[in-house]
Amino acid sequence: MMAPVHAADDASGLALGRKLFKGGAIPACTLCHTLKDADSTGVIGPVLDELKPDAQRVATALRNGVGNMPSYKATLSDDDIRALARYVSKVSGAMQGAAR
Amino acid sequence: MTHPKAQANPLMASHFLQGRRHLLAGSASAVAAAALGTWTRPAAAQVKPLPAYVSWKDANSLIVHSSSTLETRRSAFGTSLITPAEQLYIRNNLPPPDASIVADRDAWELSVEGVRNPRRFALRELKSMGLETVAMVLQCSGNGRGFFPGKPSGTPWTVGAAGCVFWSGVPVRAVIEDRGGLAAGIRHMTGTGGERLPEGLDPKSLIVERSVPIEAMTDALLAWEMNGVPISLAHGGPLRLIVPGYTGVNNIKYIRRLAFTTAETDARIMSHGYRISPPGTQGDPAQPSVQEMSVKSWINAPSPDSAAPTAGMVQIHGVAFGGLSAVRRVEVSVDGGKTWRESRFVGPDLGKYAWRQFVFAARLPAGSHRLASRATDMAGNVQPEHRLENVSGYNNTSWADHAVTVTVS
Repeated sequence: MMAPVHAADDASGLALGRKLFKGGAIPACTLCHTLKDADSTGVIGPVLDELKPDAQRVATALRNGVGNMPSYKATLSDDDIRALARYVSKVSGAMQGAAR
Repeated sequence: MTHPKAQANPLMASHFLQGRRHLLAGSASAVAAAALGTWTRPAAAQVKPLPAYVSWKDANSLIVHSSSTLETRRSAFGTSLITPAEQLYIRNNLPPPDASIVADRDAWELSVEGVRNPRRFALRELKSMGLETVAMVLQCSGNGRGFFPGKPSGTPWTVGAAGCVFWSGVPVRAVIEDRGGLAAGIRHMTGTGGERLPEGLDPKSLIVERSVPIEAMTDALLAWEMNGVPISLAHGGPLRLIVPGYTGVNNIKYIRRLAFTTAETDARIMSHGYRISPPGTQGDPAQPSVQEMSVKSWINAPSPDSAAPTAGMVQIHGVAFGGLSAVRRVEVSVDGGKTWRESRFVGPDLGKYAWRQFVFAARLPAGSHRLASRATDMAGNVQPEHRLENVSGYNNTSWADHAVTVTVS
């Protein structure tokens, strides 16, 4: 069970997720993915606005890699992965799922 | 060994933007598909339009998972053995190159390396060097991933990331012969795709480059034709490496380099991608690579996504193949695998790399029935009941996973 997320914490978490998406994560998510909220237009990987992955799916992809996508386990902290997963799932329009 | 550098292609971006607009705007054919479709799966509510580069495909026959992953509906496989291009699945590891590469097909160039006399060939030259045609099951490594209960990352294909198609081209062995034979110490055949790679990323992390054992060369083709027409851009035209019996990813689209090598490529898609990773691990070069297919079958009809049969005689039919070995027999069960009966093959035998169609006539009373099929190949390998668990959901051949429950009215 996750502790309840306060609105302010959620907002700062989302801001962190957006920052990581746009360049904090290396390589940056924007290089490969399109995500309207992040103004990114990458065409290598799935269009996240279309895929609408839930947070769990994003977190798993970040930890393990998927297809051509590398694992970010060694370069992002668990908190970073959670923030990034929550951000992508939220702004792509997926149902909000808790990243574990 | 050097790797060709990615070339900037200004046409590329506009091509994809066009695709995006197409997706956003929707298409008449997809709307028609939604209105006319008879399938009952939950996915029916989420019919997505076809991406621009495959706008010529039959939307009614396909599930659009994403712009680079399209699956043939189970109910769309007919009984004519060959899968029409309009119905054939799509799985691209990278966006296809710009359509300009199929404007002058004969000018496409392939570099042949790891032979006594390496050389570049234009496609028009390859066409003069030999000709063979093979019917082959093309199947994505992840076909059947959707049956893994752990929901592995990747497209949740069930049965439709596969098709049986004809390819025509020059045998790879004829090209090797022309070049004076293989260089010394060769153990692999390595193909490199011609996709454009983005700047800012290590090319090795993205390039579509795969190695297969050199033995696979024996029946491999450099193909320019599929099902009677020049290979579409979506399926790898103008030139595709065809490695019969090997999963889709090993059949390199838009091949621009064919190298005979002493070691496997260290491209990430080979070293870490497409590995059979035990649960709880990550892909690594020590794990088995996803290459040869093995014996598999499934029932296409009746199935939950086609019209429900009425009580009485039902023709249960499907497809079976053996990967590198021809398929010998298919048994069918109408009681979820408790008892099995021999089915019969229908239609011509198109060779060991093609699939066979099987049919079993059963009298089914009203009610719910669990139908399963189990194939055996010429080497005596029997399709297993259980999938081999692996992190990425590859190579699912489980007959239990592929069984269908149908309700007879």
